Amino acid sequence: MAVPSIVKLMYRNVKVNVDPGTLIILIGLPAMYLVFFGFGFGAQIEAAGGASPASYLTFLTPGIMSFQAVMAGTVGGSMLWADRRWGMLAQILVGPFTRLQYLLGIMFTSLLFGIAGAFVMLVGAFLIIGSLHVTLLGAMTAFGVIAIGSIFFGSLMLLISGLVKSNNAYNSIQILVIFVVNFASTVFYSFSSALPLPLQVLFEINPLTYVANAARGGFEGALPAASAWQVPLLVIETIVVLALATRVYVRSEISFV
Amino acid sequence: MAGQGEIIAVENLKHTYDGKQYALDGLTFSVRKGEIFGLLGKNGAGKTTLIKALTTLIKPTSGGLRILGLDPRHDGKEIRTRIGVVQQGESFDFATVEGNFDIYGVLWGVPKSVRLQRREELIKAFGLQDVRKHRAFDLSGGQKRRVQVARELMHDMDILFLDEPTTGLDVIMRRELLDSVRERTRQGLTVVFTTHNLEEADYVCDRVAVVDQGKILAMDTVENLKRLYGGKKTVEVTLSGGDAAGFFGALREKLAGCDVKSDGNSGVILTDDPKGTLQRVLEMSQAAGVQMDWLNIRKNTLEDVFISSVGGTGRENNGST
Repeated sequence: MAVPSIVKLMYRNVKVNVDPGTLIILIGLPAMYLVFFGFGFGAQIEAAGGASPASYLTFLTPGIMSFQAVMAGTVGGSMLWADRRWGMLAQILVGPFTRLQYLLGIMFTSLLFGIAGAFVMLVGAFLIIGSLHVTLLGAMTAFGVIAIGSIFFGSLMLLISGLVKSNNAYNSIQILVIFVVNFASTVFYSFSSALPLPLQVLFEINPLTYVANAARGGFEGALPAASAWQVPLLVIETIVVLALATRVYVRSEISFV
Repeated sequence: MAGQGEIIAVENLKHTYDGKQYALDGLTFSVRKGEIFGLLGKNGAGKTTLIKALTTLIKPTSGGLRILGLDPRHDGKEIRTRIGVVQQGESFDFATVEGNFDIYGVLWGVPKSVRLQRREELIKAFGLQDVRKHRAFDLSGGQKRRVQVARELMHDMDILFLDEPTTGLDVIMRRELLDSVRERTRQGLTVVFTTHNLEEADYVCDRVAVVDQGKILAMDTVENLKRLYGGKKTVEVTLSGGDAAGFFGALREKLAGCDVKSDGNSGVILTDDPKGTLQRVLEMSQAAGVQMDWLNIRKNTLEDVFISSVGGTGRENNGST
């Protein structure tokens, strides 16, 4: 039986991207957030008369799992950049693949990395905290919304890498996106109306907030009311960004290097 | 459009990147099955753009193009399943040499048993045994080139496009590669081959097209081109002493119908009558009192064809179009 082209491309993407550098970015960075922020902020909260660090870690876990969607997206964007830089994009595109298949290969690899990374964070949190209570439906909700988030951020990074012509510029934008999207979201802390208005707006329009809220709702056994509009909006945004990324990429000039 | 036995048919093919200047400017040619077809040209002549069009990487602005009887505008993927391409630049995955072969085999859907067997054969044939566990990016330029060419042979194909495949290879490996390409054409493979190296085009190509500024300036078998463009023979002259500038100046004046080019003590004379010219040069050297170090009539080479058709300015642009 012939293996579908996208599966072949995903196999290749996984093979060439499971290197220490990528794993550190994909797993190591979120894991460090989980440990350092979990214990650091947890201790501060407890010292201020709040709940125990374990309680904050329980709050943080679905947030960090959601953050995997962003990290997986950046890895997807980097794949396209590396393939362009090292000649493999043109080499693959003169092979038995369409441009769309190549793009979807990266997209699904991002999704795979997002889900796998979130699972590793879940296991890591369980080992740190000692227990985690989540229903099967709750876990499926969390992983489902992280999957959508992975496609959104994968598409966003592919769109950016399709538009930006310089590798240095792409790297700078990528770091900026990771930083802003991560910290202006509900990954680490709840949304508060005490925030300055610009930050409130940033929180509200940040797709990672939608992912984190729904994932956390899944863990808590009840989705927040805002997820009723945030999740459908996330789906619509994902479709739009995916369509834009596809359009930019399919029309782009592919050069032999 | 395609005639019998024609595996590539190109008719009045044009391509422009900016809407103003044509990188391909009305090319018409065909390539027959089992042929090694060479594309000769300076940097920026349009060779790589042509390869990109032939391998479906770009859609030409206008003109007819059929590959394997198929239209690249509609049958791109079908064409790509039947061609192999070795790019001019590096193209590697972050993996070992073996890993690059394996990944490529998987991408091309080569069954595992065939993949492993071919990998071993190619690693041996291209002398890569010592570096098989090394990362492809860590290899020397010549080794990388060998990996790239060998890797392309992991899968079956009808047409192989080689964009300057011998860059960085030593003389022996270059010759072995060209012989290997020649051998594969006996089994039905068709090869389109771009090069700057006129000697290797002369050695391996059945026909060549000289391309410049997106146009074909000359196209025929190597021998016919040499005859056509090199109807004149070349007399080589090198002096060991005396007034070289004055002597070559006198040759220019006295040798009617000959083209005399000189550089210091050396010169070449393009002539229809090499024996007569040789005699005149000897007589004039004795009369002028210059000492002759070397005097020779040589066969025309593809280089003469190239210089005749493109113009031997020696100036080349950097980068490819």
